[in-house]
Amino acid sequence: MPIPMNRGAFALAGSSLAFKTGTWRSAKPVHVHAAAPCHGACPAGEDQQAWLALLQEGHPQQAWESLVAANPLPSVTGRVCPHPCESACNRGHYDSPIAIHAVERWLGDQAIQNNWPYPRLPGSPRPERIAVVGAGPAGLSAAYHLARRHYNVVLMDAMPAAGGLLRSAIPPTRLPRDVIDAEIRRLLAVGIEFRPRAALGRDITLEELRSEFDAVFLAVGAGKSRHWDVDGAVPADLHEGLGLLREWLAVGAIPKPNAVVIHGGGNTAVDLARVMRRAGVRDVHVVTASGLPGPDTDPDDVLNVVPRELEQAIEEGVQFHPHRTINRLIMRGSKVVGVEMVRLKKLPDGHGHKARVSFEGTETVLHVDMVVPAIGEVVDPTGLGAILNGRDFIDTDMFGTIAGHPGLFAGGDCRGWIKKLTNGTVSAAIGDGRRAAEGIDALLSGRSPMEASRPALPFADLNLAYYESAPRIALPTLPLSQRDDSREIEGGPDTSQALAEAARCFSCGNCLACDNCWTLCPDNAVLKTRETCSDGSHYLFDYEFCKGCGLCATECPCGFISMVNDD
Amino acid sequence: MLEALEGSQAIARAVALCRPGVVAAYPITPQTHIVENISKLVADGKLNTELVSVESEFSAASVVLGASAAGSRSYTASSSQGILLMTEVLFNISGMRLPVVMTCANRAIGAPINIWNDHSDSMAVRDSGWIQLHCADNQEAVDTTIQAFRIAEATELPVMVCMDGFVLTHTLETLEIPDQDLVDRYLPPFVFNRMLDPQNPLSLGTLVGPEYFSETRHLAHEALNQSASTIVDVDREWQNLTGRSAGGLLSVEGPDDAKIGVLAMGSVVSTFREAMDCLAAEPAKLMALRAFRPLPEEAIRSACAGLDHLVVVDRALSPGFGGIVGGEIKAALSGMKDAPQIYNVAIGLGGRDVPLEMWPRLLDVPKQGGGFRILDLEPAKLGEMS
Amino acid sequence: MSEMNDPRARQPRFRGLEAGHRACQGCGEALAARLVTESAGPDVILTNATGCLEVFTTPWPQSAWRVPWLHSLFENSAAIASGVEAALKAQGRRSKVIAMGGDGGTFDIGFQALSGMLERMHNVLYVCYDNEAYMNTGIQRSGSTPHAARTTTSPPGKERMGKRHLKKDLLSIIAAHHIPYAASASVAYPQDLRRKVRRAMEIDGPTFLLVHSPCPLGWGHDGSETIQVARLAVQTGLFPLVELERGEVASVMPLRQRVPVAEYLCRQARFRHLFADDDHRAQEEREHLQALADYNIERYGLDGDGDDPFDADGADTIRRGGPANS
Ligand SMILES: Cc1cc2nc3c(=O)[nH]c(=O)nc-3n(C[C@H](O)[C@H](O)[C@H](O)COP(=O)(O)OP(=O)(O)OC[C@H]3O[C@@H](n4cnc5c(N)ncnc54)[C@H](O)[C@@H]3O)c2cc1C
Ligand SMILES: Cc1ncc(C[n+]2csc(CCOP(=O)(O)OP(=O)(O)O)c2C)c(N)n1
Ligand code: SF4
Ligand code: SF4
Ligand code: SF4
Ligand code: SF4
Ligand SMILES: [Mg+2]
Repeated sequence: MPIPMNRGAFALAGSSLAFKTGTWRSAKPVHVHAAAPCHGACPAGEDQQAWLALLQEGHPQQAWESLVAANPLPSVTGRVCPHPCESACNRGHYDSPIAIHAVERWLGDQAIQNNWPYPRLPGSPRPERIAVVGAGPAGLSAAYHLARRHYNVVLMDAMPAAGGLLRSAIPPTRLPRDVIDAEIRRLLAVGIEFRPRAALGRDITLEELRSEFDAVFLAVGAGKSRHWDVDGAVPADLHEGLGLLREWLAVGAIPKPNAVVIHGGGNTAVDLARVMRRAGVRDVHVVTASGLPGPDTDPDDVLNVVPRELEQAIEEGVQFHPHRTINRLIMRGSKVVGVEMVRLKKLPDGHGHKARVSFEGTETVLHVDMVVPAIGEVVDPTGLGAILNGRDFIDTDMFGTIAGHPGLFAGGDCRGWIKKLTNGTVSAAIGDGRRAAEGIDALLSGRSPMEASRPALPFADLNLAYYESAPRIALPTLPLSQRDDSREIEGGPDTSQALAEAARCFSCGNCLACDNCWTLCPDNAVLKTRETCSDGSHYLFDYEFCKGCGLCATECPCGFISMVNDD
Repeated sequence: MLEALEGSQAIARAVALCRPGVVAAYPITPQTHIVENISKLVADGKLNTELVSVESEFSAASVVLGASAAGSRSYTASSSQGILLMTEVLFNISGMRLPVVMTCANRAIGAPINIWNDHSDSMAVRDSGWIQLHCADNQEAVDTTIQAFRIAEATELPVMVCMDGFVLTHTLETLEIPDQDLVDRYLPPFVFNRMLDPQNPLSLGTLVGPEYFSETRHLAHEALNQSASTIVDVDREWQNLTGRSAGGLLSVEGPDDAKIGVLAMGSVVSTFREAMDCLAAEPAKLMALRAFRPLPEEAIRSACAGLDHLVVVDRALSPGFGGIVGGEIKAALSGMKDAPQIYNVAIGLGGRDVPLEMWPRLLDVPKQGGGFRILDLEPAKLGEMS
Repeated sequence: MSEMNDPRARQPRFRGLEAGHRACQGCGEALAARLVTESAGPDVILTNATGCLEVFTTPWPQSAWRVPWLHSLFENSAAIASGVEAALKAQGRRSKVIAMGGDGGTFDIGFQALSGMLERMHNVLYVCYDNEAYMNTGIQRSGSTPHAARTTTSPPGKERMGKRHLKKDLLSIIAAHHIPYAASASVAYPQDLRRKVRRAMEIDGPTFLLVHSPCPLGWGHDGSETIQVARLAVQTGLFPLVELERGEVASVMPLRQRVPVAEYLCRQARFRHLFADDDHRAQEEREHLQALADYNIERYGLDGDGDDPFDADGADTIRRGGPANS
């Protein structure tokens, strides 16, 4: 039946809804929940975008809960993590990256201050018992993630207190002990049985553990210094760097030569250099094969320390000799009186790898009366013979599984290098612990372990027109004159700074409910919802009417909308 | 009450009695006195209406279009060039079925510019879909103006009340201006159910494609045709109230057995009435065609029954064709059994005087025979103008 | 629609223009009309001149309007709006009348009716959707078409470089009517547009809004770039966003940085002939357009002094939960 023509050909309000313009479309907009680059770069697996979003919405406790869903030690990592997330942060291409670590630290400190409880996942108690050996960040993380999943966890450590290197090696000027204490105490309270002074290989064997527990996670760290010599020469009174730091932390003693050269490019080298410098050593040299950060240095080739530590070390008078190695020790008898350095660089070796090449004719001499190697550590094989099999580290997959040893897992500094997973940092150890908990849970639940992975949102997919440039917050730092051996050098942000910094986040790949798509669709084909939709946003595409113009996708600030073929 | 009033003044009074919500008009001779008189009534507080002093006739018509769509009784008036400037809007008003009332103070159209009376203007918008009613005198014009609102609002069609410029608009006559009470009883307040209203948001003036356009035209045609009965009813009701008819669709005077008739529209009808009374001439019927649109074919046919000759008087012409009314009457009577022989002349173009003596000349036309011509042409003057 | 039952009916904002209209993909005019009617709210009566907006919203028996709407002709939107307003006054109704037209219906053929409406001080907001040509009839030049732009009646060729004349300075003419408020706005700055609509709605008297509304079809850019193109028009100074009170410039949207006009021109096919390598006239016309932009900047004092949240870079800033400047 045709519609009868009415008087004067009038039409009723909104009757165009009968005309489905969606049929015009050849491409359609969809919501893609791409990963923010910060998330992809975080060794601990945090979704910074998500918790920054909650903070933007004014929910600090929820933000913290979202954060600790991955990383239970934000007060620690907020202070010591070299924050690769910030290097990856899209905002870095715009003005300067979000000070993620500072906000992370603030949230961790807020949780301590307000005693926010660590949330557990929904579920009921599990009967299985799991042993975690080593209460450094890796062990703490695994124990926490397992306890969150309601497992019975026994965490043991050879030392009287939990914390691993956090406690035994990192100077309190960077990581105050009350922060470690508070965070670990609260973490253990989730329901973890901690057994101090229980050393594997001394107090208990691996076999005993394996028969007593349904699964074992090894997080023993790398406690044995790497062998060091220069062309076979070693000074008689050789002290290696980590040992000196440990001693200084334990008893407060540090050697005070006139001039020292520390060989190495990691945290141990830099921390020790600063401690010695502050203790009054006149010349503190650091010789490292790595480079200093700068336009000419490949990011992979930069000194493996938190960038601001390096700055502060230079401020404090530590002298760096990048892209160099020690060629020869100059000895008087068995005593060192100097070293000969030579320039070197990592260059392609023609087999797809890089090798260090030193350049003849660039030798220079440093006059020192002490040489300290700080070139890293390997796993102490005590109690691990069968597993290590003569190698320096334990080989695992990304879930910590050790091939050929079902039920046995490892992670943290003691595991070997896994492609794409950074190693040798607190957050990497935490990430290992989290993924191992997943591996263990999967094993005990008879399923395959899962790690969500989403493609990262490229900077080019952001629409920068909608963001304003805003300065990154500047954090308070103790002036040189006030720095001593115990006071924390870098301060945290205050509340307004933390919130201001969170507000800078672009929300890469994740709807920030800006309303742009809703405001700008010429066809009213974007609908706003009160409840959250399944994709986590508050917006729906009404495909009955969407003409596929792509305007919403162009104008979505954060790359949450993408056009896909719709033929 | 009987009053001696100028035609334009009387029309202004009649309009005021109808309580229009919105009036918009633009000056043009010979309509100007109407808008001036309305303005004065408004200025004196005798008429409470939104008087919109527009910048053109085009806007005058547009204003009443909008006002009518918004549910107000709306009135405008114009002449000649003004009517032509309105043309586009006039078609719109009728196409949208809006009950606007307009007075057309009939005037010639230039070039050459001429401000005096003939029917070229209303004829030029003959096909605009408006009801067109022609008035023989100012009393008819007053009564027709009041009736026009009734007709328009009952049919939701616009009505153009045609009255001859100067001859009626500028002439003082004694006439009856009805009481406000009476008009209020006769003309209820305007209620428009397609009114623009946020509570019931309709869209008026849509786009109609080929699938439906024929139907819209058919409906417009039917609406005009059906308005004939409303025109008759409304006039009859007026007659019951006042004792006066304004002429229905068509009125016929003269002896029943007359063999010749003259059909005319507008003020010449009054002239011929007087001539019939005071000049000795052969018996003839005078047919005053009041409704040119809708054209009352049936009424014309029955009025013509028994006639041998019919002279149709035009006050305008369609160059290259001839008289417009004449052509239409021929069409209306075609196929009629014993139809009279039809003769068509135009007279009184551009204000040329139509004296009483024109009546016998018209009755003489059948004897002369021939096709359409301008009867009062003075051939001696042609040399100067060709 | 499976996700939540009938979310369209529960939108937390008023919809004056509904989905199902037939504008081209990414039509700036459809967006502008949506934004204007949204901000104006339900208590309005619209009039509309003939043009794309009229055609794509009301093919009988359908209408995309949710507010009363009246279309008559190409050149009389302002006049029918005057009539509607007069009727409302006569009836003691208080709804606001909004007259709408394209640039053709406003700058050109409907200009007289508009001028009359402003002069008579009708309480009407007139909104001109400026897409800089007669789009509905297939992209012919209008008084608003920018200098040198290609349209079907200003094609470039051996003897011509697109439109010979300048874009009519309509706002100044409007200003000369001494009306309470007149402003230019752009679909690229919806918050600013909304604020201007609300400001105009508050005023009892004639007000005027000129909304720059890119036409993907007529300008020759992708429908997904409508906002980007509109934003560049503002940021180059070619389409200044200004507010006039009683004809005096009351405020402008400052430019944080001047964007060269070439960045705007090169995105649109209607200016493609201005980038011909082998034609010296191309550079000349580009320079001419740059000079016109510079002239606007100077005339309205558009150069900003420092970052301003309401300048052409800041005004569209968003934050979580919505626009930063709302
Ligand atoms: C001086 C220094 C500074 C550093 N600074 C930073 C920094 O700023 N940022 C950063 O991210 N990383 C830093 N690191 C690296 C970081 O501390 C380590 O990567 C991280 O602690 C590794 O954690 P883990 O749990 O694997 O091992 P560990 O922290 O080494 O913990 C291993 C734990 O296992 C226990 N254990 C070992 N063997 C046994 C056994 N047989 N039985 C029982 N328990 C055992 C140990 O007592 C210890 O508690 C620094 C390291 C050093 C040395
Ligand atoms: C009197 C008259 N002349 C010409 C036209 C044809 N016509 C209809 S819309 C239009 C152009 C409309 O241009 P504009 O006002 O800029 O609106 P747009 O379609 O670009 O939105 C023209 C020329 C008409 N409808 N009426
Ligand atoms: S801007 Fe925010 S979401 Fe994007 S990478 Fe940086 S911290 Fe992550
Ligand atoms: S802006 Fe609207 S019509 Fe265009 S693609 Fe997005 S939802 Fe579809
Ligand atoms: S445009 Fe804004 S509201 Fe829409 S999906 Fe993107 S971030 Fe979310
Ligand atoms: S031609 Fe232009 S103005 Fe018209 S509907 Fe298409 S995009 Fe919109
Ligand atoms: Mg246009």
